[in-house]
Amino acid sequence: MGTARYIARRLIFSLCLIIGVSIILFTMINAIGNPIEVLLAERPGITEEMIQAVTEYYGLHGSVTDRYFTWIWALLRLDFGTSIIYNLPVSEMLVTYGLETLKIQVPAILIALCVSVLISVLAATRQYSRVDFGVIAGAMVGHSLPGFLLGIILILVFSYTLGILPSYGAYSTRNPLWGSDMADALWHMVLPVGMLVFFNCATLTLLLRSSLVDVLRQDFITAARASGLPERRVVFGHALRNAFIPVLTYLGILFGLMLGTAPVTETVFTWPGLGALYIMAIQQLDYPLIMGATMVITVMLVTATLLTDIAYVAIDPRIRLG
Amino acid sequence: MLSTLASASSPVTAAPPAPLLEVRDLRVHFFVREGVVRAVDGVDFRVNPGETLGIVGESGSGKTVSSMSIMRLVPPPARNVGGQILFEGEDLLAKTPDEMEALRGRRIAMIFQNPATSLNPIYSIGAQLGEILRWHLKLSRAEADARVVELLTLVGISDPATRLRQFPHELSGGMKQRVGIARALLCNPSLVLADEPTTALDVTIQAQILELLADLQARLKMSMVLVTHDMGVVARMAHRITVMYAGRVCESADAATIFNAPQHPYTRALLESMPRIDQSYTGTKRQPLPTIAGRPPNLLNPPPGCRFHDRCPEASAECRRLLPLETTIAPGHSVSCLKRGSEGIAA
Ligand SMILES: Nc1ncnc2c1ncn2[C@@H]1O[C@H](COP(=O)(O)OP(=O)(O)O)[C@@H](O)[C@H]1O
Ligand SMILES: [Mg+2]
Repeated sequence: MGTARYIARRLIFSLCLIIGVSIILFTMINAIGNPIEVLLAERPGITEEMIQAVTEYYGLHGSVTDRYFTWIWALLRLDFGTSIIYNLPVSEMLVTYGLETLKIQVPAILIALCVSVLISVLAATRQYSRVDFGVIAGAMVGHSLPGFLLGIILILVFSYTLGILPSYGAYSTRNPLWGSDMADALWHMVLPVGMLVFFNCATLTLLLRSSLVDVLRQDFITAARASGLPERRVVFGHALRNAFIPVLTYLGILFGLMLGTAPVTETVFTWPGLGALYIMAIQQLDYPLIMGATMVITVMLVTATLLTDIAYVAIDPRIRLG
Repeated sequence: MLSTLASASSPVTAAPPAPLLEVRDLRVHFFVREGVVRAVDGVDFRVNPGETLGIVGESGSGKTVSSMSIMRLVPPPARNVGGQILFEGEDLLAKTPDEMEALRGRRIAMIFQNPATSLNPIYSIGAQLGEILRWHLKLSRAEADARVVELLTLVGISDPATRLRQFPHELSGGMKQRVGIARALLCNPSLVLADEPTTALDVTIQAQILELLADLQARLKMSMVLVTHDMGVVARMAHRITVMYAGRVCESADAATIFNAPQHPYTRALLESMPRIDQSYTGTKRQPLPTIAGRPPNLLNPPPGCRFHDRCPEASAECRRLLPLETTIAPGHSVSCLKRGSEGIAA
């Protein structure tokens, strides 16, 4: 089977997955009942007519199937409706808040990737040395540390005690630091990105180090050394590429869930990102926002999975397409 | 009848040539939690230019560790603790890591036991063989490709231009081993180390690969160290033979001498446990092959005396006490056995 056909099949599968999620999401939101009634319940002076009017305003009348197709048709035109709480177009909010989340997540994943590669190489090439044990212990601790705890420690040390890094928000509310918007934004990113790097690094290092240790024991590594290739090329060219194969899946999930894994970080640092917005939307039953954000996160995850599968084909010639 | 087996006899020369490789008193020990494993404990052998040395011995006798030591690639917890490895007159054990790197794959190359695991699964044949050429000889990509095709043809791979773009999993076991042999020959090394190059292959393929190796060795006039546990393999391939047992050398001689006039009791036992054409498996007179009773000693704190004493039919009290030293009993023929005139030391 050719690569093009394989990708086409995976694309169709991904599409089915997204449609499936949309149906489940729609059914579950509907199971709550008419959200307008829920939201307006127990407020004084609300009449049946008013509920009727608002329900129609938000397009919540008609049969379930009618409403589903209306919703899907709107989604395809990137019309996610209007947020009940903010009274703003959901699509606009998803972009604004989503970009804030990507701003800390993408650098965090990329930095973590580079750092964990270096740490894993350092540890795996010195297996059972003190360096190696230190790395394993550190990664284990990082892996099991509760997220908010590190965030609070970072704030206590760098904001409260040393006072050198901002503890909340993405921008200064009054004057930007040093009068520069760019520097101000970067300065605010340091702590949340640092926290995400730490957690990503811990897991990536655990996976990559053990994978690398396995690969370094293989005959073809000895053979590469016996061919006179310098150690640098043996480790980075021959071992690391093989070691990455089992780590790809995790990396894909990391990218795919980028928008969905931020809540803790964004809550601790009061970051105006999609994660914090999502939590808020759920608490306040802002259903257009919930549905919009869920669909965006779903599409991200499915796309990342698709890209992971394609990456596997690109990196590992043994994979039989089918 | 033994003489028919030693088909590869050494060229008769008046004075022995200067050896290409001479290993003297090599000691490689594994430092494990329980103590010191004396995997290689005072080993001597030499390889003459253009000859094949067969190193033969039971599994665990230290053949692999010895050949990896020549490459200076013994993995921790093993460490070289003594001896000399003279290659073209220079001691490899005194070389810097960079000097060793420049030597590996270029002047000394290696063929591995398991072709299924000794090629990198994610690089094409052309990519992984070409990389070595581009690194050592600074060839361009096109020049490297051309040289790889040349080598693949030499080792009997059909349609080499196609194989260049294939990955290891697309080749059969025998084909992969041919690629492994081509890889070793890329830079025209003067010494090739082959560690059990046919042990992992199907019996029918084994013969083909051995034939190829013997043919290449003769045609390219290269020197080869052929490590094997199989007397039949050395019989076909080796000019000289070194018999190893429990980290030490029992006997070294040219192939004809080993097969026609073996001196060490272990060499004799090995030859007796070898299937022979004349007492073949056909007919009704089928007899079980004699095997050597007992097991090799534990190399972690081995008992004093000759390493072979508890399995040796000739062992006496002094064999249990004294370690025999290598003694030359005829030109080019040395043996380590108190019963053959070796000196013994208390160890
Ligand atoms: N990782 C190891 N740890 C401890 N001892 C080892 C290790 N690898 C090999 N040895 C010792 O080295 C001896 C020789 O091994 P090897 O050279 O592989 O034997 P051969 O190739 O002759 O079968 C073994 O008998 C064993 O005692
Ligand atoms: Mg071996």
